[in-house]
Amino acid sequence: MEDMLEDTVLVNLRINGRLHELEIPAHKSLLDLLREDLNLTGTHMGCMTGHCGACTVSIDGRVAKSCITLAATLGRAKITTIEGLTQDDGTLSALQQAFWDNAGFQCGYCAPGMLLCTVELLETNPDPSDADIDTALAGNLCRCTGYQSIRRAVKAAITTTKEGAPQAAE
Amino acid sequence: MSLYPAFARPRDLGQAAEIMGSLSTGAMIIAGGQEVMPSVNYGALMPEVYIDVGQITALKGISEENGAIQIGSFTVHRDVQQSDVIQNNLPLLSYAAAQIGGGMQVHNRGTIGGNIVSMHPLYDILPSLLALGADVDILKDGEEQRMALADLMKDASHGLGSESLLVRVLLKPMTPDAGWAYEKLKITAGGYGSANAAAIVTLDSDKITSLRIIVGAVSALPVDISDALSDYRGQAWSEHLAEEIEAKASAAIKEPLSDHQGDGDWRRAMAGVMARRAIEAAVKRAG
Ligand SMILES: Cc1cc2nc3c(=O)[nH]c(=O)nc-3n(C[C@@H](O)[C@@H](O)[C@H](O)COP(=O)(O)OP(=O)(O)OC[C@H]3O[C@@H](n4cnc5c(N)ncnc54)[C@H](O)[C@@H]3O)c2cc1C
Ligand code: FES
Ligand code: FES
Repeated sequence: MEDMLEDTVLVNLRINGRLHELEIPAHKSLLDLLREDLNLTGTHMGCMTGHCGACTVSIDGRVAKSCITLAATLGRAKITTIEGLTQDDGTLSALQQAFWDNAGFQCGYCAPGMLLCTVELLETNPDPSDADIDTALAGNLCRCTGYQSIRRAVKAAITTTKEGAPQAAE
Repeated sequence: MSLYPAFARPRDLGQAAEIMGSLSTGAMIIAGGQEVMPSVNYGALMPEVYIDVGQITALKGISEENGAIQIGSFTVHRDVQQSDVIQNNLPLLSYAAAQIGGGMQVHNRGTIGGNIVSMHPLYDILPSLLALGADVDILKDGEEQRMALADLMKDASHGLGSESLLVRVLLKPMTPDAGWAYEKLKITAGGYGSANAAAIVTLDSDKITSLRIIVGAVSALPVDISDALSDYRGQAWSEHLAEEIEAKASAAIKEPLSDHQGDGDWRRAMAGVMARRAIEAAVKRAG
């Protein structure tokens, strides 16, 4: 029985396309793993209780709050962080550009959640209503924009996507 | 003992039983972690061993066979919302799962099993499951046992979370003519409601043939007020009945919660209001 207990856990995570084989302590949150061990500090820490959404990443194509995700449970997951939305040369994705152009960011602390939730929304629903947008972003708090400009940015992103502008990089 | 928790990843129910049988109460099952991790991060909870049940395929998936629907305990809210089986046969449950707070992120990771085992007064799934008369399969002392969810909730020694495992939820499809509703009253920021009610009703022209109402978020556990409403069977639906149901629902709340979601007297009153709104909406859908 004892041999079923591990003090550290081996995970094979593909993060923004790069494979990381990591031996991690059982108690580590995905947020701490990304920020402290992998220096991916675009994923922000706001509350550690799952309420603010600043720590959002995408795990196997579905958004999650990394502060309340135990890294050891992830096995062989594919993870996209906000860094993974930008192209290698630093060019912003169409979605990021739409947020930039429409004051969808002010301080940018909430950007990981707002952007990654929008990516997932538009993958499943390319023509969302205002209510759909609000539901998709409901897990994210923004203390700056008042949310109107975020909704505007999402709509602008839909328009540019329809017009054939480059989409979010993988 | 190490300062840090150890980790166990059972691959099947047999291994899970073995691990649960050999560990002390410091062990903690973790599914999506959406309930456990906020408490761990705030130092309110310090598991000695995490038992990660995410590798056990027997806990996953939704199926329907011969009029019986099974939902694996490790099924996330998003899948309950979007599953065709649930949408077609248990629309009340898929709707209730969509009313959970925390956003898409919590819906993507929080499981139905974690929601049930938490038995948290403010959570959104228990009222609907009770209205639907759900059964559950539990793995305890190496054996699977089936019981009504309502009975499990009365049993303080269920050991779920450390000594026993919730395997699946079992439900019968709603009849196509059944009217249903889940009403959640939200007055604070954040995901949680201050009162809620799930209702299922069937009518024969305008006469009530069956009626179930569960009121939640107002006391330590949801309250099934259906027995108190049994006299209404055979009666014609009317606005007057709705008012009576409101009064009976409020009266059924003997020990209302009084917390930052609202004080006790108001919660008791809102229990009635939610019950009335739920039955009114359910009657509109019935037929
Ligand atoms: C910001 C936020 C807002 C939320 N808002 C809502 C809301 O509005 N409504 C609502 O209903 N919920 C809400 N939740 C709670 C959400 O955590 C639950 O809905 C979720 O279902 C918990 O499931 P989990 O798999 O993450 O549980 P975990 O955290 O993994 O586990 C929870 C408990 O269940 C036990 N457990 C888990 N699976 C099993 C099993 N198979 N057998 C035995 N024991 C088990 C664990 O040991 C633990 O005690 C919210 C959560 C957050 C973070
Ligand atoms: S830091 Fe994770 S939700 Fe706030
Ligand atoms: S832009 Fe500052 S928190 Fe949203």
